[in-house]
Amino acid sequence: MRYGMLIDLRKCVGCNACTIACRGQNGTPAGINFNKTKKYETGKYPSSKMKYLPMPCMHCKNPPCMKVCPAGATEKHENGIVTADSDKCIGCRACIIACPYEARQFIWQVNQYYENQNPTPFENKKYRKFEKGTVVKCIFCIDRVAEGLPPACVHTCLSGARVFGDLEDPNSEISKLISMHGALPFRAELGTEPSVYYING
Amino acid sequence: EWKETDPSQIGEKKTLYGLCRHCMQGDCATLVHMEDGVVVKVEGRDDVPPNYGSLCPRGNSAIMSLYNPYRVKVPMVRTNPQKGLDVDPRWKEVSWDEALNIVAKELKKVRDEDPRGLVICEGWGERDTILRIPFRVAYGTPNEIGSHGPLCTVHYATGLIHGNFPVSIVDLEYCEYHITLGRSLGPNFATTGGTRKLTKALERGMKLICIDPRCSYEASKGEWIPVRPGTDYAFLLAMAHTMFYEIQTYDREFLINRTNSCYLIGSDGNYKRDEKLNKPLIWDFNTGSAVPFDTEGASPALEGSYPYHNEILHTAFTLVRDGFITYTPEWAESICTIPAETIRRIAHDFVSHARIGSTIEVDGFVFPFRPVSLNTERNVTNHKGGTYGDLTGKIINMLVGNIEVPGGCLGSGYRGALAIEPGDDGTMKPGYEAVPKEFHYPPDHIGLEEFFPNCHTTPHLAVNAILEPEKYYIDYEVKAWFSVGGNPIRMNAEPEKYVKAFQKIPFSVSIAYHMDEPAIMADVLLPEHSFLERLRVAPFYPQHQSISNEVSGLQMIQMRQPVPTLFNTMHVDDIFMELAERIGILYGEDGLNDCINHGEDWIIKDHGLNLKDPYKLDLNTRYTLTELFDRQIRSWKFGDGTGFEELNKAGYKAYWQPKKNFYLYYYYPGNQTKHEFYFQHLKNTGDTLKKNLRANGITFPGVQDENEIFDLYKPIPYWVKNSESNAPSEYDLWAINWKTPYFSSDVGNVVGNPWLAELYKADPFEAVICINTETAKKKALKDGDPVTVSSRYGSIDGIVRTSELFHPDTLGISGGYGGGNKHGNPLNRKGPNFNALISTEIHTLDPVSAGQEMAPKVKIVKRKGKKQ
Repeated sequence: MRYGMLIDLRKCVGCNACTIACRGQNGTPAGINFNKTKKYETGKYPSSKMKYLPMPCMHCKNPPCMKVCPAGATEKHENGIVTADSDKCIGCRACIIACPYEARQFIWQVNQYYENQNPTPFENKKYRKFEKGTVVKCIFCIDRVAEGLPPACVHTCLSGARVFGDLEDPNSEISKLISMHGALPFRAELGTEPSVYYING
Repeated sequence: EWKETDPSQIGEKKTLYGLCRHCMQGDCATLVHMEDGVVVKVEGRDDVPPNYGSLCPRGNSAIMSLYNPYRVKVPMVRTNPQKGLDVDPRWKEVSWDEALNIVAKELKKVRDEDPRGLVICEGWGERDTILRIPFRVAYGTPNEIGSHGPLCTVHYATGLIHGNFPVSIVDLEYCEYHITLGRSLGPNFATTGGTRKLTKALERGMKLICIDPRCSYEASKGEWIPVRPGTDYAFLLAMAHTMFYEIQTYDREFLINRTNSCYLIGSDGNYKRDEKLNKPLIWDFNTGSAVPFDTEGASPALEGSYPYHNEILHTAFTLVRDGFITYTPEWAESICTIPAETIRRIAHDFVSHARIGSTIEVDGFVFPFRPVSLNTERNVTNHKGGTYGDLTGKIINMLVGNIEVPGGCLGSGYRGALAIEPGDDGTMKPGYEAVPKEFHYPPDHIGLEEFFPNCHTTPHLAVNAILEPEKYYIDYEVKAWFSVGGNPIRMNAEPEKYVKAFQKIPFSVSIAYHMDEPAIMADVLLPEHSFLERLRVAPFYPQHQSISNEVSGLQMIQMRQPVPTLFNTMHVDDIFMELAERIGILYGEDGLNDCINHGEDWIIKDHGLNLKDPYKLDLNTRYTLTELFDRQIRSWKFGDGTGFEELNKAGYKAYWQPKKNFYLYYYYPGNQTKHEFYFQHLKNTGDTLKKNLRANGITFPGVQDENEIFDLYKPIPYWVKNSESNAPSEYDLWAINWKTPYFSSDVGNVVGNPWLAELYKADPFEAVICINTETAKKKALKDGDPVTVSSRYGSIDGIVRTSELFHPDTLGISGGYGGGNKHGNPLNRKGPNFNALISTEIHTLDPVSAGQEMAPKVKIVKRKGKKQ
């Protein structure tokens, strides 16, 4: 069992529903994004196009972040999901430098969303699990996955651009789509063996 | 400070059925999860239409609109008589009883004097009320003004040709070639249904042509055809010209049987009628004579000119075709910059993909099959001549016979026989805004609807009439203003003008969710729930962006179970109920209850939640909102007789009609009804308007030359230059505006939502001034330069963002940023406010729809300041 995600860039419309669904699910403080979407343009007028690149943590099979962690705070679970444990994290940030995908963020301060206002009841409840001086990242919604649900970003996607499943099962939807479309992970040459694949669009 | 959690809720987990209200459609089914009395997650509800579990970024951000510290939290009254956006009203907190009594007393006084003195301003800020309209009718004022409408006057042609409201859309279940102009299919502002359907259509190979000054989200998924802003109409005229004069492949069967193309037109421009029967005449080849259009066995002439009583009569088709003779693709290229060969290619591809003559069986019923559609919306219609542009789009569609058949161009509203029922002349009765409003003199309506009988909403006209009533023949004063979700200061043009109007009106009250502009100008604030706190039962409306089998045939009602309230707020409809009782307009004949009994859903008519016997209200009983909903649910045409309690268990009730019922052709097939190809109704409306003005000895107000108005009521579209064509040469760019995934009409003040704000602040195209890279170079402008942008109507500041995604003549400003006031959410003040560049002057409008010019010519000047 190795969980992975396929993102079909032909279908992605760059709306960021994934980013906000992630926020609702994980309750990340202001400025912390487990899911990032890069929006950019290619080509010259009038042949130009708007493009989007959503980037969760790649949940590498061979995660460079884990290797450099001196505190054993980064763990690769049996199902392939990579998590960071804030109780063990000492805030050295070596993992941030080691990750080639900018998937990790350091919490300098747990900031609320309405500036100069008290944190909202939602934030008061959700921010408890975030600790100043630790590193956080996308966890593939490991609690949802344990309940048999897809990660929040997959569930919310308007265009069905994200597929979640077992990369080791050749009959899973995700495996079939990857092989059908020749989907590739991001920067495969680094040998990190990411679990997130992309169909180019 | 936030309210302490109710101790009884600690340890409790529960899930409520939600119904999203963060866009104008407002129909996504959600689940609202609560833990310990706190909302911890809002997500799409699996397997339930229309979103089937998915949910857009705005929907996902609903939590932060509930927990918004800038909400109005208690009833308040102003103690500082001076009013201004940045003047402190010196609010005094009062009890609900006090606030309601003050408002009721003032409104009663105005009503006793002249009920027209009250203006109720609705808008996207509050679309969950069911009592606003009955309240207005019971009060007796005609003056309901939608603050949002005139920037999006997209309704006339659809009302005339489809008997539908609000717009017409593409059938993405079958369409194979789709042309979209000035609108969105969903992705541009991230609507769940539209995005889902478009993705599937593109996956099965539908070709998508996006004609747009901006390479948008969806243009990037199809073929982008850049167009000079405000000139789509020239493209449409040339496309029709190409179809009329170069391709000449028409759906003749459709034109003959299902349009008025064969009707003979007299020299006065009207149908020539049979002298005895008064029916429009056609030329019959069988008898070689003019006969009534419905003569059985006749063989009608589509084209040509025929003798009749010493006159030569032309068929409507011939006249329309003649009207397009000069609009060659080369002519259009010089205006809209789309290469002539591209216009020809698109016209050819459109006709060849239309499969004229083919049929398809749906639920055992045989329909014509026309898998193409061309759809236009606000950036086509919101110019002088915009209604002609929309109507030209209809001519293009009618030439291939794709109206209301599978794969084609469909109305997005009422799906029943009433929509295309034929009238006396054999043509369908116009619907909605294509039905001219009644004329009164002096005018009753403060928005001057008497002079714009086919208008959409008219806050831009109301502001002129409030400030200078005599100029517009208004014989009364506006004494009170009631904001119910409307915000004309931010959501319309010339904000300072509306501030003056607010200063002039003696009393103003706002049902307020947050401290927006109408709230800061109000005398009394009546704080309302945020949408998650509002109990709601609503019928499902066909979707605005597109349609497919995901929801076609679906009749549904949905419920939103409210989360506990956070502040001392009230449900908007409980406020109306309280006020009606205190003013004395709740009970008896013509009271609020009576008005509810007689109300009918504006969009879906008898498919909506209208009361019927035995569930109509007793005129002298006060009902709770739950009781009202219960009666509505029990009255629902597609219901099973159960009420609130049953709906509360399931959250929704769906009834699937056969798919064939979705296509209006089904109700009047063959030659049983006809669409107008020659726009006789438009001409009639103009003629009647002119007659009414003459009968009262007046001229059209607010313009120097009346013909500027009446020339737009001709039965055949012709090229009209919009108001910006005569701008001095220093105004060398056209400003454009679009909705974004983070902004869709500012429903629920999404601009003030900090989760969305984090995204739009990081988005390269949001809250900035976008211009084409080459254009910027010529003007020595670079990314981050502070600039001032001015039209002839207003000016704004912003920061430059250069991009290859814009037509070189375009200056692009997204969303609805800027404006605000210093007592409200600071997020509402950030970024350039596009609306401040547009005009409220009558000579700049489209005279039929009263739509405002949405591509004002502008100049851009570098301003002193730090590069950002």
